[in-house]
Amino acid sequence: MNIKGKPDQLSHEQFMRYSRHLLMDDIGEAGQQKLSHARVLIVGLGGLGCPVALYLAAAGVGHLSLCDPDRVELSNLQRQVLYRETDCEQFKVDCAARELRALNPHISVSTYRSEISDALIEGKASVEGYDIVVDCTDNLAARQLINARCHEKRIAVVSASALGWEGQLIAFDFARHQRLCLNCIVDRDAAEPLQNCSNAGVVGPVLGAMGSLQATTVIRILLGYFDQHGEMQRYDGKAGRWLALKASAVDGCAVCGG
Amino acid sequence: MIKLLFFGRLGDIAKNAPASVDAATPAEIRDLLAAEFPALGRELHEPQVLVSVNQMIVSWNHPLADGSEVAFLPPVTGG
Repeated sequence: MNIKGKPDQLSHEQFMRYSRHLLMDDIGEAGQQKLSHARVLIVGLGGLGCPVALYLAAAGVGHLSLCDPDRVELSNLQRQVLYRETDCEQFKVDCAARELRALNPHISVSTYRSEISDALIEGKASVEGYDIVVDCTDNLAARQLINARCHEKRIAVVSASALGWEGQLIAFDFARHQRLCLNCIVDRDAAEPLQNCSNAGVVGPVLGAMGSLQATTVIRILLGYFDQHGEMQRYDGKAGRWLALKASAVDGCAVCGG
Repeated sequence: MIKLLFFGRLGDIAKNAPASVDAATPAEIRDLLAAEFPALGRELHEPQVLVSVNQMIVSWNHPLADGSEVAFLPPVTGG
């Protein structure tokens, strides 16, 4: 908003940059303004976080915060499409921020070289002030932390994961719904499965597909087109098959059922 | 009879599993399968395996009605 409280006008350069959004009746200039005023926290800048960040930056989402403690490794380059070979041993968030600023200098990007944690989420990367948190992490503890804090603060969460040929997407619009959360579906005390991407592998484009769907879901939520709170999408890339599943809130859920 | 669906990599392991069984709960199906197909049984006992009945995620002791479709979904946790 400008100082008179009216929506900012898009510049000529922005009209050109976002013309494919502006051509769409259900996005248009008003929708683009919503995107430009949005603040999104992306937790995890791996195989999912890379396409999420790229598409949201390209779409003109106004502020992106990036959180990941890891440095780029050679084995990341098969699927983490923001990084170059020369980025090895550099912090992922630094490399990602460089690429996103080069792609779209009109957005702002902040970086946190750390795991998501209670301290971080309550402090510098507090979920307060974000419209959406995008969960691109690789472990249940982080996912459950994000779920609980975002439920508490009524911030939407868009979560995805992948392994092998398979992907999963689920989003919780906690700004509009207070019942049904990740903890209703996966117990927060559940152990981590034996198989993970490090020991069982993952197909890069499967992560790309799921990350692109996360970015699409973020845009849907920001524009008011999301009505699938707690619905799960599963993708089997080997069989080329999708499965859509509903879930229900668990009575007495420690996060949302109090 | 309860129709069975094994999603993703569980489908590779469950190639010889029956397409349908008689059972009262998903947990009972898991026990039946584990007795005959130990490798599949181990996978179904992995943490965070999800089970759905007619496209609704449910608990392992959810009562099953004849004609239901039960799907088993392996955990997907990487990012």
